Amino acid sequence: MAIAAFQFSLLTSPLAIVIALSLIVGLLMVVLFGYTSDQKAIGQAKDQLKAHLLAVRLYRDQIPVVMGSYGKILRGTGRYLKLAFKPLLYVIVPITLLIVQVDRYLGATPIPTNAPFLLTIHLAASTAGSDATNDATLDLPPEITMTAPPVHIAAENEIVWRLVGSKEGKYEVKIAAGQTAGAAATVTKTVCVGTDLPRISTVRLRGHFWERMFSSDEPALPENSPIDSISINYPDRNIEIAGYGMNWIWLFFILSMVAGFIFKELLGIQI
Amino acid sequence: MKRLCGADTLVRMRAATRSGRDCSWLRFERTRFAGRSARATRVLLIALIFLPALAHAYAGPGAGFAVLSSFWAIFVAFLYSFYALMTWPFRQLFRFIRRRNAYGKATFERAVILGFDGMDPDLADRFMKEGRLPNLAKLRDKGTFSKLRTTFPAISPVAWSTFMTGVNPGKHNIYDFLARDTSNYLPFLSSAEIKGPKRHIKIGKYSIPFGKTEIKGMRKGTPFWHWLGNAGIFSSVIRVPVTFPPEKFQGVLLSGMCVPDLKGSQGTFCLCTTRASNDKFREGGVRVPIERKNGVCRSYIPGPDSPLAEKAGTELRVDFEIRPEPGSKSARIVVGSEKFTLKVGEYSEWIPAEFKAGMGFTAHGICRFYLKEVSPELEVYVTPVNIDPGHPDLPISHPVTYSIYLAKLFGPYATLGLAEDTWALNEHVLDDDAFLAQAYGNHEDRERMLFDALDKTKQGLCTCVFDTTDRIQHMFWRYLEEDHPAARDVPHSQHPQVIQDLYQRMDRLIGRVIEKIDDDTLLMVISDHGFKSFARCMNVNAWLHQNGYLALKDGKTESGDWFEDVDWSRTRAYTMGLNGLYLNIKGREKQGIVDPSEADALKAELQKKLSGLVDPASGAVGITGVFIADNVYRGPYTDNSPDLIVGYGAGYRASWDSVLGKVTSQIFEDNIKAWSGDHCIDPRLVPGVLFSSHKFIEEKPAIVDVAPTILKLFGLKLPSHFDGKAWTLAVKAASSSGLAS
Repeated sequence: MAIAAFQFSLLTSPLAIVIALSLIVGLLMVVLFGYTSDQKAIGQAKDQLKAHLLAVRLYRDQIPVVMGSYGKILRGTGRYLKLAFKPLLYVIVPITLLIVQVDRYLGATPIPTNAPFLLTIHLAASTAGSDATNDATLDLPPEITMTAPPVHIAAENEIVWRLVGSKEGKYEVKIAAGQTAGAAATVTKTVCVGTDLPRISTVRLRGHFWERMFSSDEPALPENSPIDSISINYPDRNIEIAGYGMNWIWLFFILSMVAGFIFKELLGIQI
Repeated sequence: MKRLCGADTLVRMRAATRSGRDCSWLRFERTRFAGRSARATRVLLIALIFLPALAHAYAGPGAGFAVLSSFWAIFVAFLYSFYALMTWPFRQLFRFIRRRNAYGKATFERAVILGFDGMDPDLADRFMKEGRLPNLAKLRDKGTFSKLRTTFPAISPVAWSTFMTGVNPGKHNIYDFLARDTSNYLPFLSSAEIKGPKRHIKIGKYSIPFGKTEIKGMRKGTPFWHWLGNAGIFSSVIRVPVTFPPEKFQGVLLSGMCVPDLKGSQGTFCLCTTRASNDKFREGGVRVPIERKNGVCRSYIPGPDSPLAEKAGTELRVDFEIRPEPGSKSARIVVGSEKFTLKVGEYSEWIPAEFKAGMGFTAHGICRFYLKEVSPELEVYVTPVNIDPGHPDLPISHPVTYSIYLAKLFGPYATLGLAEDTWALNEHVLDDDAFLAQAYGNHEDRERMLFDALDKTKQGLCTCVFDTTDRIQHMFWRYLEEDHPAARDVPHSQHPQVIQDLYQRMDRLIGRVIEKIDDDTLLMVISDHGFKSFARCMNVNAWLHQNGYLALKDGKTESGDWFEDVDWSRTRAYTMGLNGLYLNIKGREKQGIVDPSEADALKAELQKKLSGLVDPASGAVGITGVFIADNVYRGPYTDNSPDLIVGYGAGYRASWDSVLGKVTSQIFEDNIKAWSGDHCIDPRLVPGVLFSSHKFIEEKPAIVDVAPTILKLFGLKLPSHFDGKAWTLAVKAASSSGLAS
């Protein structure tokens, strides 16, 4: 039973997820590339590139040939990239969305219990010098406690709180700012405390549609709120391989390339 | 990648809060935590849109490879180019110090030698007079047009070996396509010997070869481009016969005639058929059944023997599937990952054929498919499996990368020495049109190689041999004559002008080459021999048998191939190959009976009796001369030569059976095969041809003179062992070709 549980935990570890994802993406992308690209033209373009490379080596004593071949290599590379651009257009959207979504789980770890973390609000520039920076308050759930008074950074229009979570879970911190100015009252920010693989939103934003799409998993802050953004400094999640930690995106990039290389050979697809 | 750990951050946080002063840690933290991964993602998207290079790296493995390999290509090219540029002055200086100012004494910057194998001077003259060959006529008028004396015998491997080495066969050791093993009277290929690794390790059912395949070139002597290379003159050598295995020199070389196919033969085609037949092709091909099952037909391409099999002769195969579509007279063929549709009478592109032996051993070949018939029977012809030039399992070029370079630049191409499948036409597996399509397909590949070499070799030597002239004349000479036995079923008026078209095509090639050269380039067009009709076959073994020089075992009137049933204890002479006649000499041949002291007398006797031998059916002379080897050859390898060279008369040649060491009851017979023209006759009757862009003063030029002439024109000293002599160039200014005008 213990062994089975251990095996299961291995299978659901970030490393296992990235490996599985890389394999699947490697396969799917190679197949997609194969279907959406002009395989014959890509093959020919690659062959031409190789031929001109070999020409540089074969005719190295003949400088005009060397320079001519180098020029052809540059032109050939342009043609090759042009041929790879069409399949790129097909894969760019799904891959980007996938990376964004996976990053919500693997990009950062939840706040460890009893470890301090920072909650920062950035106020709108229009509130500079107003009372908004002074009357911002936090309404914390019982599991989250403030460990130091907030720090006001007037120059940056920011207020930073140092907090601690005492118990694993997903909590909502209420932030009130700008009441005295008659602006919208309270907004919330989710805080994840624990060790699992929860979906984490590091920042909550007002407006900024594209930024929210790629970096926030929470609804937009109200338009009339004096707060521009609320962020939490979740620790980065490093995946350890042979004692070396790296961000999942790099690992995904490397593994999906390796998987793609293997699958392209197996499937006979020109890339 | 290693990031600041959380503990470290907290320590600094505490310190700052405690002191109540500097809050720079907050700024640091802000920049660190404020949506770091989110920013990475944003950068990613922007990169995806605006920077294709970086974008590829993130947009999945497909595009990632594209970008990485592009950068790699540019990087490697830059390194190569940089290296070439930086070291060029030093290389030049090095040569200068070693007194190798290569072109200092050269008469020409560049020599271009085009070999048109078998181009006949009489036919060329006739077609020029008819105004069909304007470019060759231009060479004739501005430069040289002459007959070019050939070698004894007038066979391509012999003549081209002499061309490149400047010596007679006694010094280069090539006397025919085949040589005989004196220990068993069996033939072997005269140009190269391929031996597998000697040691094997047995693991289960496999016998794994341990060590390298040994390829030994049998041609001796030094090709003249080696002398040029030693002097710092670069050469591009394409498809010159008997250059397999390729030797190292300063230049590039693609081997030609004598390169084997993947099976190790000189070309074994395959006819896949549903037609039941037990007939075997005489040579050059195999019949493979097509099995029909549920509307799908399956067959295979026979390949080389498995290098891992314990038992010799375990053939590797590549299976393929055929889906005939009789309605559209076509078929879909699936070979591995390759899928293509062919119409009846259509060739495929070169298709890769990978023969997997297991344990990672794969032999890489290429072949072309030709759909002969889909209904009522299904027949597919497959060319001999050529060594894949892009992935050569045997070295077919120098450097090895040259064949790969050509394959990448132009796509796969025929690498087999005798790439035009004459046997398939002889055996009626291919018809005339299919053969011509194949031959001209190969020819076009070689034209592309030639023009690439011309572009790349602005100084030095550029030489290329075209086999097309030889193969097409062999196979279509029958249409030049009114009563050739091989074309009697077709009225002469309907004979196609194949050979005339061929000469005109070669002339157009010359025209395009002339456009590429200037007056500082010497252009030579040469052939190794001419051509004559091959209407009658003569079996000299049969004559030897009937005249008491060769004996069969008791009760036998004919022998099998390779002297099966020959009684060597009573045999004094025998022939094998195209022109060689051998004595069965005691102490040399395993069962020799002729005392060496009697050999000269026997040679003289045979020479006298065979010379002038008349064909009783036609009254024509079948043998115009028999030449004693001692009088023709000199050099260190004369021991390997035949004892006599048989010079057949025009219209005659050694019979198909005689070549294979077979004794028949008939001496003379008609030749009814498509292979209807030949040159393996009296060398005096089939000289080659010499055209040049500049005028040479030489009354009787010979092919053996080409090497010394080229060395002399590049200002090099001639090696003393050369048999040829350098021709004299009419004063260059006076002989200026003016071809461009």
